[in-house]
Amino acid sequence: METTAIRRPDSEEDTTPAGELRLTRRADGRLWAARGDAERAVWVRRCFPWSEPARFVSLRDDDQQEFALVRDPTDLDAASRRVLEEALVAAGFVFQITRVTAIEEEVDIRHWRVETRQGTRSFQTRLDTWPRVLQHGGLLVRDVAGDLYHLPDPTTLDRQSRALVWAFVD
Amino acid sequence: MTLEWDHGMTTELQSLDHEIIGRYTDQPARLPAALRRRIEASWNGAPVQLYALADLDEALRLTEAWVALGPGHVTVARATDGRHEWDLMHIERARIEAVREAPGLSASTLTILGRPGDPALAVLRYSHRQRRAFENLTFVLEEALAGRTVTTVDADAEYAASVARPIRDAQALVAGRRGAVIRRLLGYLRPYRRQLVLGMAAATLITLVSLVPPYLAGYVIDRVVRPAQEGRLDVGRASAIAWLAVGAMALVYLVRQAAAVVRLRLMAVLGEWVARDLRAELYEHLQRLSLAFYSRKHTGSLITRVSADTDRLWEFLAFGVVDVSLSLVMLAGLGAVLLSLDWRLGLVMTLPVPLFCWAIYRHGESLNRVFLRVWRKWSRLTDVLSDTLPGVRVVKAFNQEAREIARFDGHNDDVTAEINRLHGIWTTFWPLLMLAVHATTLGVWVLAVPRLLGLGPALSAGAFVSFLLYTTMFVAPIEVIGQMARTVQRATTSAHRVFEVLDTEPEVTDAPRAVRLEPVRGRVTFEQVTFAYDGVRQVLRGVSFDVAPGELIGLVGPSGGGKTTIVNLIARFYDVTGGTIRIDGVDIRQLETGHYRRQLGMVLQDPYLFHGTVLENIRYGLPAASLEQVVAASQAANAHDFICKLQHGYDTVVGERGHTLSGGERQRVSIARAILHDPRILILDEATSSVDTETEREIQEALERLIAGRTVFAIAHRLSTLRKASRLFVIADGRLVESGTHRELVAKPEGRYRRLYEMQVELA
Repeated sequence: METTAIRRPDSEEDTTPAGELRLTRRADGRLWAARGDAERAVWVRRCFPWSEPARFVSLRDDDQQEFALVRDPTDLDAASRRVLEEALVAAGFVFQITRVTAIEEEVDIRHWRVETRQGTRSFQTRLDTWPRVLQHGGLLVRDVAGDLYHLPDPTTLDRQSRALVWAFVD
Repeated sequence: MTLEWDHGMTTELQSLDHEIIGRYTDQPARLPAALRRRIEASWNGAPVQLYALADLDEALRLTEAWVALGPGHVTVARATDGRHEWDLMHIERARIEAVREAPGLSASTLTILGRPGDPALAVLRYSHRQRRAFENLTFVLEEALAGRTVTTVDADAEYAASVARPIRDAQALVAGRRGAVIRRLLGYLRPYRRQLVLGMAAATLITLVSLVPPYLAGYVIDRVVRPAQEGRLDVGRASAIAWLAVGAMALVYLVRQAAAVVRLRLMAVLGEWVARDLRAELYEHLQRLSLAFYSRKHTGSLITRVSADTDRLWEFLAFGVVDVSLSLVMLAGLGAVLLSLDWRLGLVMTLPVPLFCWAIYRHGESLNRVFLRVWRKWSRLTDVLSDTLPGVRVVKAFNQEAREIARFDGHNDDVTAEINRLHGIWTTFWPLLMLAVHATTLGVWVLAVPRLLGLGPALSAGAFVSFLLYTTMFVAPIEVIGQMARTVQRATTSAHRVFEVLDTEPEVTDAPRAVRLEPVRGRVTFEQVTFAYDGVRQVLRGVSFDVAPGELIGLVGPSGGGKTTIVNLIARFYDVTGGTIRIDGVDIRQLETGHYRRQLGMVLQDPYLFHGTVLENIRYGLPAASLEQVVAASQAANAHDFICKLQHGYDTVVGERGHTLSGGERQRVSIARAILHDPRILILDEATSSVDTETEREIQEALERLIAGRTVFAIAHRLSTLRKASRLFVIADGRLVESGTHRELVAKPEGRYRRLYEMQVELA
């Protein structure tokens, strides 16, 4: 019987060898990626923002095409890694909740008033949209505008905040 | 080229947007007036055309920085020292060569670029809440870079709409005016005033006569039984009075139950009438609303409003209103009677009543929190069901049954634990509350016993018995009053949801003196048509064409280019935001929409069949069509043959959305429906894209019969299906980029159509 072997694509072939990739922040304020003769202004997107935030970063150009996939930033040279890490701070930004002052239900929305590391914020979620319980136990709330609010560890909140979010944590 | 943009937004909507921003967000509802004046002064009086709030600083902390766009400048105003002192940075628009947005998880960065290699002119960071406003700015700047001008109308309205829209889409009203909502709801009782008055009178009668039996019991003991026992009253006379009292009690009970029948029947029926009126008004209004409304609201939510919410309002109107008002009357009556019987004992009984009501209210609040947990966990459980049951083939194919069972069991246990927590709370609370009521009664005993034995102020046995009987009547109204807040809240929530729909105005309405085209010949003219579903981001940008009656126009081009928008505008599902569409030379907005749409037919990619027979579905647009016409239309649609093969022929009931038929069969039924409808203008939107080649051939054949003699707009990705088109319009990026016959377009060396055609030929 004749069989056909199906080979998985070699991991080194289907992604960019990180060692060849150079990242710089240029005068125009943008992140530029260079690989061989090709160079492109790119923006970064974490492939696994919650389950593996430190690895697998997709570098995408203005046409939304992936220019390179960085599997592990430690494979990059120190300067590129530093630039990438800076870019990741903005790309991975979410509001960090430090205190919950009120959660009120209205007709179709739930109205939240919170303190975040970035400042005081009010936002709304739909009544049937529940905060997402993250693998590591944190809570992620997405408001109607698409903004994300991260509550890393509800048990560390003050008593009133804990009481308010009690219904949303496991 | 100048593209006019006019959103047609009403002042009412603008003020709602401002109210939403003020109530629900922590940001200003508009660019501060002083800052605007300062910016405009620095531009030599040129107006601010658009603006946005960059609410994050370089370090990603919340801040207030405004970006204003004018005819010649972009100005960034940053607050200094946290006060409303502004540091302005002006950028000449002539220096801008590109704008780039880098989207992030919850913050985006907009970079305004000058010449290549030069430092960025501005870098702005903002949360997703501001993203629409920034997209509008970016759009206008990019259009300018492409040599086109977008004229905006009202910068304040644009900004407010972009920030408020996500909240307005979720809840199109500002909640909080509970009294007004209840008054409006009670207004629906007006046509049934007579029944309401009778029902309320019966209920009042029940309440009042309920107070009689305890009084009679006390009277019989004090005035009949004891005097007779002590020999102060003749036994014969005592018997007569006692039997009279028993008779009076029987009469009271009879009257009470008769009144109860009147009350229950009248109020239940009345509540149903109001619910029916609301449902009818709601459904009629839903039918009038434009497609834009349906794109904002989930169908499930609308179904709930027509069914569950009106049902909840029935419950409130039929029983809630009466129960609450009569409970108040009952408590007041009982209090008065008890205090008049014996003020000392009366105080013991009445003083704790507010405390009991408050305890029940608090209990309801704590149950609500647990209910929220139960609801959340229920939704997880139902998510598993709605995931795995429709996807059961995938579950089985990947042999994941055991894992899915474990997942379901885990969630099932979670739900059970929460529900048991709920049971734990109420099963503890109510016995405790009853214990407190009994303790009050015990207090009455403690105070009454010495007095009954002659120590202290006199208290007759009869008065004491009456008192005890009255105390048992306290519990029910306390319970109703304690839950009043929840009852009213539930009713106002449902009423809000119903009124939200009723208060939504259709975006497409007939003009005051709308005209009818008799007959419609089928000439369709677009004059510089622009359209934006939302904000200033136009999906059609100055499209112009003139289509003669009977022409078959093929609309081709990449997805998202604007083809479907063109046919949606021809069907007048939306009104243009700029330019004009004319049908036989008359502005489409001047036509009577209902009459016009009767001249219009649509065959869509995923044809919608209603629950009913094949015959009813074919006759949908023309219910009076004869069977001969139906068969002829089906034959022309290549549908007659397969329909006759069905066990029940044309009387076969097709399931919800016609799922008992294959995709090709449903398509042919929809073509038969369109043929019978006999439209002058026909729209074919990817009518053959989801069927196999043989079925496509049959459908194509049917379509050719359907399109004869009509003006047809056909969207197709497979260019081969448009071979017979009179002309082809290539739509890309919201513009008509090429038009002509297939032969003409293929002859263009660098033509877009030619490129598309060659790609498809290569793939074939």
